[in-house]
Amino acid sequence: MAAASAERRGPRDTIAVSVRDVGMVFGDVHAVRNASFDLPKGRFLTILGPSGSGKTTLLRMIAGFDAPTSGEIYINDRPVSAVPPHRRAIGMVFQKLALFPHMTAAENVAFPLKMRRHDARAIPEKVERYLELVRLGGYGGRRINELSGGQQQRVAIARALVFEPDLLLLDEPLAALDRKLREEMQLEFRRIQKELGVTTINVTHDQREALVVSDEVIVMEGGLIQQKAEPVQAYRTPANAFVANFIGVTNFIEGVVAARDGASVSVSAHGCTLPGVAVGEALAGGDACAGAVRAEQIRIAPRAETLGNLDTLVEGTVVDAIFEGERIVYEVRVPGLGDQLFRVFDHDPVNHLQFSPGDSVCLGWNARDMHVFKK
Amino acid sequence: MRRSRAAYPWTWRVMDGLESLAARLWPARFEKGLPYLMLAPAVLLVGILVLGLVQIGDSSLRVLDTSTFLMSEDLTLANYQRALTESFFATVAGRSLLGSVIVTIVTLIFAFPYAYLMVRTPSSALRKFLLVALFLPFFIGQVVRAYGWLIILGNQGMVNEALGLVGVPPMRLLYNYPAVLFGLVQYMLPFAVLMLAPALTAIPAELESAASSLGANWLRTFRHVVLPLARPGLVGAGLVVVTLSLTDFAIPAILGGGSQDFIANAIYDQFFRTSDQGMGATLSLMLVAVGSLLVGLVFMLFGAGTLAMTGGRK
Ligand SMILES: Nc1ncnc2c1ncn2[C@@H]1O[C@H](COP(=O)(O)OP(=O)(O)O)[C@@H](O)[C@H]1O
Ligand SMILES: [Mg+2]
Repeated sequence: MAAASAERRGPRDTIAVSVRDVGMVFGDVHAVRNASFDLPKGRFLTILGPSGSGKTTLLRMIAGFDAPTSGEIYINDRPVSAVPPHRRAIGMVFQKLALFPHMTAAENVAFPLKMRRHDARAIPEKVERYLELVRLGGYGGRRINELSGGQQQRVAIARALVFEPDLLLLDEPLAALDRKLREEMQLEFRRIQKELGVTTINVTHDQREALVVSDEVIVMEGGLIQQKAEPVQAYRTPANAFVANFIGVTNFIEGVVAARDGASVSVSAHGCTLPGVAVGEALAGGDACAGAVRAEQIRIAPRAETLGNLDTLVEGTVVDAIFEGERIVYEVRVPGLGDQLFRVFDHDPVNHLQFSPGDSVCLGWNARDMHVFKK
Repeated sequence: MRRSRAAYPWTWRVMDGLESLAARLWPARFEKGLPYLMLAPAVLLVGILVLGLVQIGDSSLRVLDTSTFLMSEDLTLANYQRALTESFFATVAGRSLLGSVIVTIVTLIFAFPYAYLMVRTPSSALRKFLLVALFLPFFIGQVVRAYGWLIILGNQGMVNEALGLVGVPPMRLLYNYPAVLFGLVQYMLPFAVLMLAPALTAIPAELESAASSLGANWLRTFRHVVLPLARPGLVGAGLVVVTLSLTDFAIPAILGGGSQDFIANAIYDQFFRTSDQGMGATLSLMLVAVGSLLVGLVFMLFGAGTLAMTGGRK
C-alpha cells in the first residue's frame, strides 16, 4: 500500500503526513481550527505553542484516538479517518510515557512486535537492538519502576520505534524532566531520528527544544497555526507579534506607521520616528502597529559615540541588572519612548557587569532588526 | 471585628477549641502513644471476637443430651465426626461451596463491564446514573429484596404472567438452586463493582491508548493490559463475593424455600430448631476454617500484594 505511492514519487519529497483543514470542537471549545500542513518523509517537525493551544488534540487526531470534527488527515496519501489507531503504523511517546508497569523494559519493547504479529523468533534480537539504540543495552530485564526517569523515557522511545512505524509522534515527553536531562534527551531524539530517518512530529511548549531538534516548526496558539517555518526563519522572521513574543525575548514598541516604502517602514512613537521592516502586505501608512526588537539585537553602551553605526539610538537608565551566567540581562527605562522598560542581553567577557542600576546608558539597534506588525 | 471574622472563619475557631481540649486530655509528651490509642477500639473488637470464638470452640466439643436437652459435661470430638460423616452436612457444604464459586465467577463477569463503563465513560450523567443504580439496592436491604424476587418470580408473578401472554405455561422459577444463585449474584453485584471501580480507576486511560497505537485491538488491549492490571481489584472483589455468598443466610432461606440450605442455614437450624448448640458451634467453626483456608489459598496464589496492600504498585 505504502509501496505504491513511494513508486510514484521520488523518495525525497514524498509527503508522509498531510493535514487538510482539520478542526476539532469539544462542546463550545474550538481546540483546533482549520489546521493544514504537509510534512515530507523523514523530516522532524515540532509543534510549538503554549499550554492549551491544541497541540495534544492535533496529535491525538493524527494518531487516530480522536476523529476530527472537520477536515481530513492523509498518511502516505491515504485518508485515515476510518482507520483505527491499531491499524495505523504510528509510534507515539506519551506525555506520561504510558509504559506498562506489569512488564519489564524488554517486554514493553516487545509488545508492539507481538501485537503486530512479527516473527516470534526475531523478536528478542530486535528488542535488544532497539534497547541498544536508546543506550539501554542489558537493561531489558528491569521492571519499569526500577528504571530512572531518563531510562523510562528511553524505553518509551524504543517501544514506539521498534516496529518501524511510518511516523513517530512525541507529546511533550520531556516536559517532566529536569533541565540537564531534558537537553540531553533533546539531542538524543535528534540523533535517533537522523539515524533511523523516521518522520517525526514533536509537540512542546519549550521554544528552545523546538529550535534545537527540528527541521521545521509550527507555532500554534488558540487552536490556530500561526506560522510554519524552519527554526531559523521562525526566529528571524516571525510571521506575527504572537510568534515574535513566544520565541525569544522581544521588546515591543507601539506606535503608528508614518510611512511605508516597499519593505521598509518608519514608525512614529512618542514623538520619535523609528525605522524598521514591515511584516505582511497589509501594513500601510496610518495603521496602528508594534515594532518588535529582540533583546539580543539591542546593543548597550555608556555613550552614543560607541554605537555610531546603528540606525536607531535611544537613551535610558538601567533599572535592574540580572546576572544569568552566560549572559547579563539589563532592564532599561527609556524616557523618550514613554518610560517603557527594555530588556537587553549583554555579554561582556571582560567586565561581566559593566552597568549597575541608576547608570545612564545608550541603546541602539539596526532598522533590519525591528519587525513591524500590524496591530 | 467583621474583618477579623472573615480572616479567621468560625470553623477554624472550633478546630482550635477542639485541639486545645485534645492537648489538655492528651498532653504532647504522650504523642508516641497516640497511634496505639487509635488502634485500641479495633483491637478491642477483634479481641471480643476471639473470646467468642474460644467460647464457640468450647461448645463444639460438647454433645447434646437428647433426654435432658443439656450440653454434656465432658469434651468429645463427636460433633466433628458427625459433621464430616453425615451426608446431609456434606450436601449442604458442597452446595454452598459450589454455589459461592459459581456466584463469584458470574458476578465478576457481570461487574467488570459495569465498573469499566462507570470509570471510563466521558459522560458524567451516565456515570452518575450507574452509581445511583448501584447504590439503590443497598437502601432496600437483602431480605426485602429477596421478597421482591418472590413477587416477581412466583407462580403468579410478573415473569410468569408475561410468559403467559405469549402462551408459555407457568414455570416453577423459585425454590430451586438456580433461583438462589440468581438472587446471590444480584445481591453481590454492587459489592463487586465497588471493589473493582478503584482498581480500574488506577489504570491510566493512556495505557489503553498506548496499547492501541502499538497495534493491539480492544480485545488484546483488554487481555494484555487491562486484565493484568485489574488483577488486584478482581482478586479483592472475588474474595469479598466468595466469602459473602458462602456465608449468606437470607437468600438461600427465602429463594430456596428450605430446600436449598447453605451452611449458615444449617447452623441456624442447629442453634434455633434442634437447639443443638454443640453441633451449631462445630459447623460455625468449620465454616470459619474453610473461609480462612480459601483466603489463605488466594494469598498464596496471588500474593498479598495483589490486593494493592503492599503499596508496591506504582
Ligand atoms: N477531551 C476534551 N474535552 C473538552 N475539552 C478538551 C478536551 N481535550 C482538550 N480540550 C480543550 O482543548 C484545548 C486544547 O487542549 P490541548 O490540545 O490539550 O492543548 P495542549 O496540548 O496544547 O496543551 C484546551 O482548551 C482544552 O481545555
Ligand atoms: Mg498537551
